[in-house]
Amino acid sequence: MDFQRLKPHLPWITLLILVAIVGTADDTFLKPANLLNLMGDIVPLFIMALGLTFAIYIGGIDLSAQSMANLITVVATIYLGSLGGWVALLCVAVGAGLGTLSGYITTKLMVPSFISTLATGGIAISLSQYLSGQRALNMDAAQRDAVFGWMIAKTGPVPHELFIAAVLLAIALFVERRTTLGRVLKAVGAGEPAARASGIDVARYKILAFAISGGLAAIAGLIFSVKLSGGAPAIANGFLLPAIVAVLVGGTPLTGGVGGVLNTAIGTMIVAVIRTSMLYFDIEATAQQMVFGLVLIVAIAVTIDRAKLRTVK
Amino acid sequence: MYQLSKVDKKFPGVHALKAVDFEVGRGEIVGLVGENGAGKSTLMKVIYGAYQPDGGQILMDGKSMRFANPRAAMEQGIGMVFQEQSLIANLTVMENIYLGYEQQFVRFGVINWKAMAEAARMQLAKVKLDIDPGRITSTLSFAQRQLVELAKVLTLEERVQGDLVILLDEPTSVLDEDEVKLLFKLVRELTSRASFIFVSHRMDEVMDLSDRIYVMKDGAVVDMVKRGEASVEAIQHKMVGRVVDKRYYREQRQVPYDASKVLAEMKDVKLPGRVAQIDLKLHAGEVLCLVGTEGSGREAILRTLYGMLTPLAGTVTLKGRTVTRFSPRGSVEAGMGYVPRERKVEGIVAGMNVHENMTLSQMGRHSTAGVFRIGGEKALARDWIARLSIKASSETADCGTLSGGNQQKVVLAKWRSGGSDILLLDHPTRGLDIGAKEDVYEMIRDMTDDGVGIILVADTLEEAIGLSHTIIVVKDGAIQKRFDCATGAKPSLFDLIHYMI
Repeated sequence: MDFQRLKPHLPWITLLILVAIVGTADDTFLKPANLLNLMGDIVPLFIMALGLTFAIYIGGIDLSAQSMANLITVVATIYLGSLGGWVALLCVAVGAGLGTLSGYITTKLMVPSFISTLATGGIAISLSQYLSGQRALNMDAAQRDAVFGWMIAKTGPVPHELFIAAVLLAIALFVERRTTLGRVLKAVGAGEPAARASGIDVARYKILAFAISGGLAAIAGLIFSVKLSGGAPAIANGFLLPAIVAVLVGGTPLTGGVGGVLNTAIGTMIVAVIRTSMLYFDIEATAQQMVFGLVLIVAIAVTIDRAKLRTVK
Repeated sequence: MYQLSKVDKKFPGVHALKAVDFEVGRGEIVGLVGENGAGKSTLMKVIYGAYQPDGGQILMDGKSMRFANPRAAMEQGIGMVFQEQSLIANLTVMENIYLGYEQQFVRFGVINWKAMAEAARMQLAKVKLDIDPGRITSTLSFAQRQLVELAKVLTLEERVQGDLVILLDEPTSVLDEDEVKLLFKLVRELTSRASFIFVSHRMDEVMDLSDRIYVMKDGAVVDMVKRGEASVEAIQHKMVGRVVDKRYYREQRQVPYDASKVLAEMKDVKLPGRVAQIDLKLHAGEVLCLVGTEGSGREAILRTLYGMLTPLAGTVTLKGRTVTRFSPRGSVEAGMGYVPRERKVEGIVAGMNVHENMTLSQMGRHSTAGVFRIGGEKALARDWIARLSIKASSETADCGTLSGGNQQKVVLAKWRSGGSDILLLDHPTRGLDIGAKEDVYEMIRDMTDDGVGIILVADTLEEAIGLSHTIIVVKDGAIQKRFDCATGAKPSLFDLIHYMI
């Protein structure tokens, strides 16, 4: 079997191998309770990766996701008191709004997405620093439990975050497979000039992809702040690299057009297993980003479609 | 002197070269013709060292050779003048000529530019090109760049012992008639220095220049004719295995168009660049062909009609409505379809399957509130796969894996299934084999029978004359002449060329 045919199956094969390795090294790993906790813990990262998938699927990238999540933890913490449950809507609006801004800069001003999202990410960081006064803020515990307590509760052994993740994944999968939006995003990723020549307003859909990415990063930030019961301008730092790794390891290449949200679900599980295995194997916390950096390089090198790249700069 | 003996080359699923025998004598010009897919490119790649044959031998002066890569072949005196020019646009002419061979001019790690310019001037003199070697390549005309490319290959003369063999791949495809004449004159003079292998689609040119012609079909050399031994028709016959005549363009199916129904109109349109005063009318059932040389403004007119360019002045009217905002989206909504020249770039999306490609321009028709009705979409694709006999394993086959002809059929089906009745066809038969071309011609007649208006930029003049009801000759951004091409009263090639150049 040649490599090209094997390629689409690499993500889940990798996942199985990793699970097998960690499972044999540590016999508590495969216990259902442990696995459920493990997955529950990774949900904010998964949701961020889910959003990123849209940006990467069209051949772009969203480097603002982490800063966006930071900003949202601050926004959620500050406005929970005055807005109650409506703060969730505000969070998603801010995320989608900043995503739209990135999309607009990318499509109308022709600034490559890695720069435009880096720039909007900068705006998000400044905003969060300004809003928080550069301090770590805490939510009112009673109010948090009343409004968002359900998010982090459990039904039996199953953390509720998993349900949120499942619902969002289902919606994203529906959008990707069944809607015109999903179809256009695929066409843009696989062959934008042809999409344009088919009379499609490509820019509008690209902006939407960045808006979705921003909105989902916001939801990730919201759940994260509920979990930690507070917010700070750097609280979600360390999310971006694993989130990008999750998308790429899952099999959506930087060149876009193939893969998708289901791949990202598998990719996130790979990230979760790698992360836990590092605890089991006593790898220091400071070394984790290094491991993810290495995995990212390998994942890109393996998945990228070299036919679409003439030169790399 | 240079000889291929029983050369074989196989790729997964394709037997690209079948025991090919090929020979080039000293100072000889050898033509190589064949339809697309006949194996010409593979043969050329074997000759200049990009492919290694699976069987047979490459002999030079009777000695068996094996080239690991093009550079190894170059060191034995085999050079290639590429069709897609291989010069780097932002380097100077001399840097391009000596790209990869600068070492000879290096003193103490620094290039002696004066020496390089001197040497480059000498090379340029061989091709009679009097330009400053320090000029940036992108400032040269296309024909000049072609000559620089040739000069670059001729540096082999100083570098290698023995004879030179130079491959010319479609060197005339974008040259005008005078430039072609000059190039041919030059090549004939250069036979004192090298042998040439000349590959072209233009049969008359191959006949004009070559001492001998190899005819390829299905990966094998089917014939070798000496100068003056065969007519164009006879060679074409051997290439395709049948006679190409008037019926080829389905002229018997041409019927007069409906002059009372104007689908699209351009009035005194001026475009960025130097295209001006464009007036034309497209009627229902008409094939209107824009004829002109590369850069004459045909593409600009086509792209303006499709909304990809916005005119500076004048009006464009589609079905009685004046266009105010130019966008492909608006044009598609007005019932227009565009079959681009770059099929693989703008025509199909590789990586998406047949039904996804077919409905890309008409998603609204197959969805409710943004959600696809995939069953209906697939049924439509199956229908059109059957109607156009598209060779695809199913409607879910990846379009990127289809052959050029079938990809083109998918693009045409995309527009026809959506009910487009104004079609812009930019080189619709480019790169297709004869059978696929005939299918496209047949479709064009089918469409005009249905009252579709077609604006065509044809691949060849013969095709333009054969297919069209009306020919508009464009030169230097202005309409030179309008020809009526009713069956039996078609203009000749000469009539057209007279206004083109």
